[in-house]
Amino acid sequence: MTDTRTESRGRVLTGVHFMLGNYAVAEGALAAGCDFFAGYPITPANEISERMSQRLPEVGGVFVQGEDELASIYALAGASLAGAKAMTATASAGFNYMQEGLGYCYAVEAPVVVVDVQRCRGENFASQADVMQMRWGASGDYEAIVLAPSSVQELFDYAIRAFNLAEKYRSPVIVMSETTLALMRERILIPPADAIPIVNRRKVTQPPSPEFLPYKAEPSGTPDWAPLGSGYNVIYSLNPHDERGRIDWDPNVFEGLYKRITGKIRDNRKDICFTESFHMDDAQIALVTYGSEVRPAIDAAELARDKGIKVGVLKLGTVWPVPEDEIREVAGQVDAIISVEMNMGKYAGEVERVVGGRCRTFRATKNRGLIHSPDEILAVIEEARR
Amino acid sequence: MKQLSIRFCGFGGQGIVLSSVVFGTALVTKAGLYAVQTQSYGSEARGGQCQAELVIWDKPLNSPHVAMKDILVAMSQTALDRYLPSLKEDGVLIIDPGLVTDTHDTKARVFKVPATETAQALGSRICANMVILGFLQAATNMMSKDDLAEVVKESVPARFVDLNLRALEAGREIAKGVNLEVMES
Repeated sequence: MTDTRTESRGRVLTGVHFMLGNYAVAEGALAAGCDFFAGYPITPANEISERMSQRLPEVGGVFVQGEDELASIYALAGASLAGAKAMTATASAGFNYMQEGLGYCYAVEAPVVVVDVQRCRGENFASQADVMQMRWGASGDYEAIVLAPSSVQELFDYAIRAFNLAEKYRSPVIVMSETTLALMRERILIPPADAIPIVNRRKVTQPPSPEFLPYKAEPSGTPDWAPLGSGYNVIYSLNPHDERGRIDWDPNVFEGLYKRITGKIRDNRKDICFTESFHMDDAQIALVTYGSEVRPAIDAAELARDKGIKVGVLKLGTVWPVPEDEIREVAGQVDAIISVEMNMGKYAGEVERVVGGRCRTFRATKNRGLIHSPDEILAVIEEARR
Repeated sequence: MKQLSIRFCGFGGQGIVLSSVVFGTALVTKAGLYAVQTQSYGSEARGGQCQAELVIWDKPLNSPHVAMKDILVAMSQTALDRYLPSLKEDGVLIIDPGLVTDTHDTKARVFKVPATETAQALGSRICANMVILGFLQAATNMMSKDDLAEVVKESVPARFVDLNLRALEAGREIAKGVNLEVMES
């Protein structure tokens, strides 16, 4: 549906809508305070750029169509370090190109939000095959934060959460979207602006001086932010750097930097990770899943219960960092865990690593360009049943 | 109500996707129901095959697709040939008889809605999709006619509002005496 309105609608479109997934993630970003977007066209992510190109000018923000994915992600880094809440959106093949710049954002601790609308190679068929690329795509040592919405509502909600986590930990945060969700329309409730929690990065309090240490980050592990272009003279380098930001190849500098950059995420898993349980109370079999696959998994659990098989679902809101405590707790409760995902078996390896033999494990994996049907998952449940 | 699934199919340019979006918007924002809409279309902007799926319930929905549909709206013979197997045997088939001539001896209840002809008589074939929506609204009663009209007004360019509203009304006329009883079950 073409939106023909031109007057400003404000940042937060409070109310009930029947909204396209791609629009919802854009609206979530706006509600979170996003004021800079740069991107390069690719389906099935284009409606995000389209929406931002219309909406950002309405709220005083900046929209840039980059000449390619690299220019777009680096534009985000600059905008973010200067103080913007910056986002881009791309899809699998375009996400490949962004890895270099994404690695730069991890290294210089630029809070940015990247939406990757996963698709199959070359066309808009559904897939979750980027789940490992999202974690390991960039070079260097870092921890990724990746959120996996499973509905249009969650595309909105998790976009807000992504910005807040990015700001809090000065790190890129990836919103894992998918063809299925991006091109789906459903009911969404946008709350009033004052009911939306907003986190802003901590800003340095001391004035610029030669002694200023922009990468000193005690005790939280996340350094306070010195706005780019305001006299602090910080070098933002991908290379190993000391607390002053000077490039330094000393092994102790390496270790100190990478311990801190990974540690600020690892030590805060409890704050970052979230999961949701469905029918888990008495479950003997658990479906561990994420993204759109949560939906047929819940249907499959209910079909199984109609047949007297006690099945529950553990939905992973964060896929990275892995919600290890939550998966381990489920593994201690049930007889079998089935990993459900739309690829040939990727995250299943993570789940099985965490389960560590505490229960039997199975896989409901598929790459046919289509979300699982509940019956397909039910077939694996029948197989897992003793 | 029972979960209800509708597939709209035809070729690009007939407003297939728009009709599913307008109907879904009225269901969700006016009638307080839940709906999930998905779509697929050829890379051609016009002329390619095109389909949209709408799953409707009075509770939140999980799976976005339903294998066998309750209602199939077919606006071209090619689309009907392709999607008829996804219609339940006791389902409802709505066709534009000017564009679909062979219904393959289906056991479904068939309603012939001359949408394109009616739209042309009103001034333009582009509002054929609204004739179909008018028919669906009256035959299902899932939302009030005013609610649907309200969404149509918000969804089409201003200069076409009147034409589209007249098309809705014409579709309602064709549905006189038809009750698909989807809300009762």
